[in-house]
Amino acid sequence: MAKNRLLRILTVLTSYGVLTFFALVMLFPFLVMLFTSLKTPADTFSYPPRLLPREQITVTLPGYERPLPLHLVEHEEGRTQPMALVEDNIRVGIFAPLQPDGSPDRSRVVMRRFGEVRVVGGEDPKTVLLDGAEVPVYEVNVDGEIQEMVVISRTAVGRFVNPDNPSESVLANVRLSPPVTRITAHPENYLTVVNLLGFDRALTNTALITILTVIGQLTTSVLGGYAFARLKFPGRDSLFLVYLGTVMVPFVVLIIPLYQLMVAIGWVNSMPALILPWLYTAYGTFLMRQFFITIPREVEEAALIDGASRLTILTRIFLPASVPALATLATFTFLYAWNSFFWPLVVVNTGNTRAQVLTLALNVLRGRASDSPNLILAGAAISIIPPTIVFALAQRYYVESVASSGLKG
Amino acid sequence: MRLNRRLFLLSDLGPNRVLASLALWHGVQGALLIALGVGGLVSRTQLLSLVHGIALAGAVVVGFLSVVASIGIARRSHIGRAASLVVHYLLFIAALIGLASALDLFKGLDVLADYAAEGVPFLMAFVFMVGYALRTIELSERPVPRWRRRIGSAVMLVGGVGVALSLGLVTALLDWVAKLLQSPSALVWLALAVISVFLLRVMWRDPVAAWLGARRTHGEQLVGWLFLSPNLLGFLFFFAGPLLFSLYVSFTNWDAFNRRDWVGLENYARAFGLVVQPLRVPDQPASEALDVRTYSELMRVHLPGQSFLIGARDRLFWISLGNTLLFSALAVPLSVVPALFLAVLLNMRLPGMRLYRTLYFIPSVAAVVGVALIWQWMYNSQVGWINYFITEGINFINALLGTDIPDPQIRWLADSSYALLSVVIMSAWQWIGFNTVLFLAGLQTIPRELYEAATVDGANPRQQFFHITLPLLAPTTFYVLVTASIQALQVFDQVFIISNGTGGPGTSTLTMTLNLYQNGFQSFRQGYASALAWILFVVIFLFTLFQFRRQRKASSAYES
Repeated sequence: MAKNRLLRILTVLTSYGVLTFFALVMLFPFLVMLFTSLKTPADTFSYPPRLLPREQITVTLPGYERPLPLHLVEHEEGRTQPMALVEDNIRVGIFAPLQPDGSPDRSRVVMRRFGEVRVVGGEDPKTVLLDGAEVPVYEVNVDGEIQEMVVISRTAVGRFVNPDNPSESVLANVRLSPPVTRITAHPENYLTVVNLLGFDRALTNTALITILTVIGQLTTSVLGGYAFARLKFPGRDSLFLVYLGTVMVPFVVLIIPLYQLMVAIGWVNSMPALILPWLYTAYGTFLMRQFFITIPREVEEAALIDGASRLTILTRIFLPASVPALATLATFTFLYAWNSFFWPLVVVNTGNTRAQVLTLALNVLRGRASDSPNLILAGAAISIIPPTIVFALAQRYYVESVASSGLKG
Repeated sequence: MRLNRRLFLLSDLGPNRVLASLALWHGVQGALLIALGVGGLVSRTQLLSLVHGIALAGAVVVGFLSVVASIGIARRSHIGRAASLVVHYLLFIAALIGLASALDLFKGLDVLADYAAEGVPFLMAFVFMVGYALRTIELSERPVPRWRRRIGSAVMLVGGVGVALSLGLVTALLDWVAKLLQSPSALVWLALAVISVFLLRVMWRDPVAAWLGARRTHGEQLVGWLFLSPNLLGFLFFFAGPLLFSLYVSFTNWDAFNRRDWVGLENYARAFGLVVQPLRVPDQPASEALDVRTYSELMRVHLPGQSFLIGARDRLFWISLGNTLLFSALAVPLSVVPALFLAVLLNMRLPGMRLYRTLYFIPSVAAVVGVALIWQWMYNSQVGWINYFITEGINFINALLGTDIPDPQIRWLADSSYALLSVVIMSAWQWIGFNTVLFLAGLQTIPRELYEAATVDGANPRQQFFHITLPLLAPTTFYVLVTASIQALQVFDQVFIISNGTGGPGTSTLTMTLNLYQNGFQSFRQGYASALAWILFVVIFLFTLFQFRRQRKASSAYES
């Protein structure tokens, strides 16, 4: 018995573990999107990649005009300390003392600027043979003692000063001194994107198209669904079968004739082309019909006897009772209209800003701002966040109804 | 006043005179419309524009209906009434469309967007909704108090007027009235609309309805058609019509502008055109073996002793077909199998499962374009997360097992052997949540008693899964497979974004839909592109049929 219980607990824990892992997999790209959209361009290219936006801390010191970036610098004694970089690209030599056998002692190297050292022998420089080449010997001051040393390598370093004590300065390799960073956020990326390439216009257009499409689809679907569910007219059932069959037809079959129709009417590059063809939907009609047939007939018949018209019955009795179906259809249409890409790509010229929609603007942005992933992902966030909010509000209805009817676009 | 009203009471005129004049009206109208339509269609001297063709054909149909109405009314049949109502309804719609185009009402949508771009309308719409909420939402059991209703109504009014003003509706209305008065064609359309409404009323209302012997069921039928009509018109104009037109176009060589010659099956022959040539030596140049004016090299098959060169008239078609099938064959299992697994876990009905279900669903509501951009960044070969995880994982394994596996440093999107796989992974990620919800719904219909009985009989969870869950879930599995395949076979947005519309690198992500887009809208071979669309349709149909067959076989095997 105890063994069974243990097994049960283990199963539950494992299940939660697996489910959480998958939840992280599902959410991770969105986290990448959100955090990258708040980064500086330089930060996006750091390796290893890091999730949170970070930025180098700068300090202002008396005597220096610009703010100075802080780095974690390793002193010669081996302790590390945050210090401000005041000068970069200083050419220095790495000096090593000469051992009695004439070879340099690489374990006791020091770094000096060439201005700080003198060549031994002045006019007639003293040289030693090192790796088959004659190299000059320098006099180097190490802790107050003059030693004879040779250059074993040259490099460029930065000069760092201690922000607490600006007179203390060190030379160190900038690339080996990790920058001191703190977590930041650059929400102004979003403003930049919105002001770029007519993104703001694309946003309003998409919102307008989505709202009108949702209203239009709800209207036609409610009317059609009611007719299919409750009104008897010749040809109803065969017509309904035809409607069901249309679900099989892929959109790509329609795209060329629809485009031609838009050309013929003169709607290419304009808003009506993005709205009117989508006001009819077999899915929506089907969904509303399936919901309406579940509403009991008795209420309706009583109202009919009282002399109510069909429209009154529809608006006063059926609509209030079908909030879940309406919410589902509205959400579905919202997502479809907001996310659609293929049709706008065909019917709206990408250069046209007046009928631009978000997905097209994103496509343009991708090409123009390829060096700033932070801006591209800010654009992606603008296109992804509104549908996610709508989904979060309606998910109770929407997910249930996907489960029951398998609605799909 | 009273005298005036009495003059318009039809019942005073008597049925004979009214019905005769109505029949006459319909007869004349029908004859005129048919003459107009047929005349227009016959006397065409050049290629008619599509819209004119549709309008003229519509005129003939309505004219014919009008004649039917005329005869019906003369015979005092309710069919005449129905036909008359349909005719005037259609004429009314036509008049509204004519009026809208004469006044440029459709272009008004663009102007609406101009105003909306200033943002104020959305604010005002929000105010309107706040007012509505104030007015209607009951905070407690009691009905909404009077003061709140009043304030709510006032706020709604402010919001509504605000929306109208900020969208420029008032100025637009004045503008349209001014245009209407100046444009004769608009006035004609308006007159037609008014006449249609008047005659609709006359026909619908009682004395005439009673004279024509209309009963309640007839009224019900007409209301049914009326309610369905917005849907039906949309269906005809934006679905059925285009579908048939598409089939016709696929038999022509239309370039979208001028030429539209009937070429029969040439488009289909071109897509499927293949030739197999034996080669003297395996690396014989294609130009020697093939007629390179028509064929280009698709692939070489090396059998022992003999090599063959397969040439295709349109190698891109075959490549795109292969890519699409490969994509589906990978993406469908990758999005279905984990979904089934997750759904079984979720079906344990532990606390918090709804939250997980919602989280899994989020990727499928996000725009494919946005998602593709995120993944494009994550696939970055130098600083992207995917390669980072792979590097870290390999380092971990190497450290743990002491092995020396090299870091592959895959260039996901730039390497033609990985690009399609990248799209597969991304799409599977996006579709898993949707499929999980479908599977979960299917699982919840399986009675729990079955599992309890199986446990009593000593079946372990694995046996339960294979002998209870899978067979009983077969209909759901079928449905999920079909929808996932239909979606996968049409993949477009992802590959368009990832490859910048080229299907590259090389032709590695050229799918059928992308190939269709390139043919139809970049090279403007719309006839050929239509044929490609129908081929894709048939592929999807066959897929569905195949799954359907398998499901039937599977379920019958289970039953026997």
